[in-house]
Amino acid sequence: MQAVSRAHALDVSSPAFSITSPEVRAARESSWYATTPYGIAILRYDEMGRLLKHPKLRQGSVAWPAHNGVDEGPFADWWASWILNQEGEEHHRLRRLMNPAFSPKLIGGLVPRFQALGDELIDGFAAPDRCEFVGEFAEPYAARVIAIMLGLPEEEWPIIAEVSATIGLAMGVTLRDDLPRIEAALERLYQYADALIADRRATPREDFVTALVNASCDGDGRLSAAELRDGLVLLIFGGFDTTRNQLGLAIQTFSEHPDQWALLAGRPDLGKAAVEEVMRVNPTVRWVTREVLEDFEFQGLTLTAGTTLHLYSESAGTDPRAFTAGFDITADRKPHFGFGGGAHHCLGHFVARSDMSEALPLLARRLPEIRVLPDSSWLPDSGNTGAITLPVGFAPGH
Amino acid sequence: MKVIVDMDVCESHGQCAIAAPEVFAINDAGELEYNAEPDSAMRENVEEAADVCPVQAITVED
Repeated sequence: MQAVSRAHALDVSSPAFSITSPEVRAARESSWYATTPYGIAILRYDEMGRLLKHPKLRQGSVAWPAHNGVDEGPFADWWASWILNQEGEEHHRLRRLMNPAFSPKLIGGLVPRFQALGDELIDGFAAPDRCEFVGEFAEPYAARVIAIMLGLPEEEWPIIAEVSATIGLAMGVTLRDDLPRIEAALERLYQYADALIADRRATPREDFVTALVNASCDGDGRLSAAELRDGLVLLIFGGFDTTRNQLGLAIQTFSEHPDQWALLAGRPDLGKAAVEEVMRVNPTVRWVTREVLEDFEFQGLTLTAGTTLHLYSESAGTDPRAFTAGFDITADRKPHFGFGGGAHHCLGHFVARSDMSEALPLLARRLPEIRVLPDSSWLPDSGNTGAITLPVGFAPGH
Repeated sequence: MKVIVDMDVCESHGQCAIAAPEVFAINDAGELEYNAEPDSAMRENVEEAADVCPVQAITVED
């Protein structure tokens, strides 16, 4: 079959592999898919759009620990508990309990706090013309937004940031090497969640965490005690890690397009479009995972039950079959896949969109002529990627 | 109660069908089907469906 013979093989599990490399671009020109050590990689926009919500596929992250040789232990147990890794009625019950925390109406009311937080962090930069963007902005911003959302003390943001960034290594191809650190961080985050639960039991508030705690009380039964802990750990970690990463990636992209940064500085109304355009060309979630439920044919390829598909959101988002070349925050674009799609569509996307669409125009206005300085450090360019440290320079006087 | 879905905006994620399965469903072709005039007893779930729609394509009217 011609389509099969033209598919490239990609060594995705190597930390040196890059999803934005010429190698993947060449594979995308050759075929809509490639083979990988994990299964199949989907490279083009049209195919990704159709497979993202395909009824013969389930969310596939459930197999990720096993792909990395991690079959048991606290991490494997926690991973299996994720709402992301549940299906059907179990998933729907958990999702409906979590949804109220992320209502767009609720989040709309938080916009002034996001703006004030962004200004406060920029006011606090140590130098007038440079900063370490991840440590001085992306991490405190992402962690304090979580604190605001969940009613946690904002001054506790360094704990949230540290443990969540470490747990985030689980989304990368170095999972197995990082496992001892990940499990230690997970243990700390469980302790943090337990203290939070105890606090809300002792002194209930009119907030989301109290509502979740109440749903786990004897006689309610909508949520088990284990699900409550697992869920809070996921909410804290999941909201932090992706936002931190996506903000750094936004700075990387805009530093390569100074005209767009200058445009955004004068047009804060383009903040929403800026977030969408960045997530199209440079999403932190480099792949969305699916698993084949039963054998079926797709474009001449037989997909067999149990096969993992990684749908490459960046490759799809820059597919020349679907998008004209370039980065343009005023362009009218098709939807990107940076938040996944279907039943497991990102739960926190309203808050992520809202907080980043406030942060980016503010940063553009106050940090003009931004550029990336030497010695930045990065996660592998696969899985969930992003900057670990990102020194940037800008015109002084913020 | 009237339910209006902007089908130009709908991306068939199916979050509405999780929140209000009595009113919304994704069919075998992967497309949204819904009851445009559900019983008012469904109101709470229908409003939840409108709230959680990722692309905010659902409007509820009296």
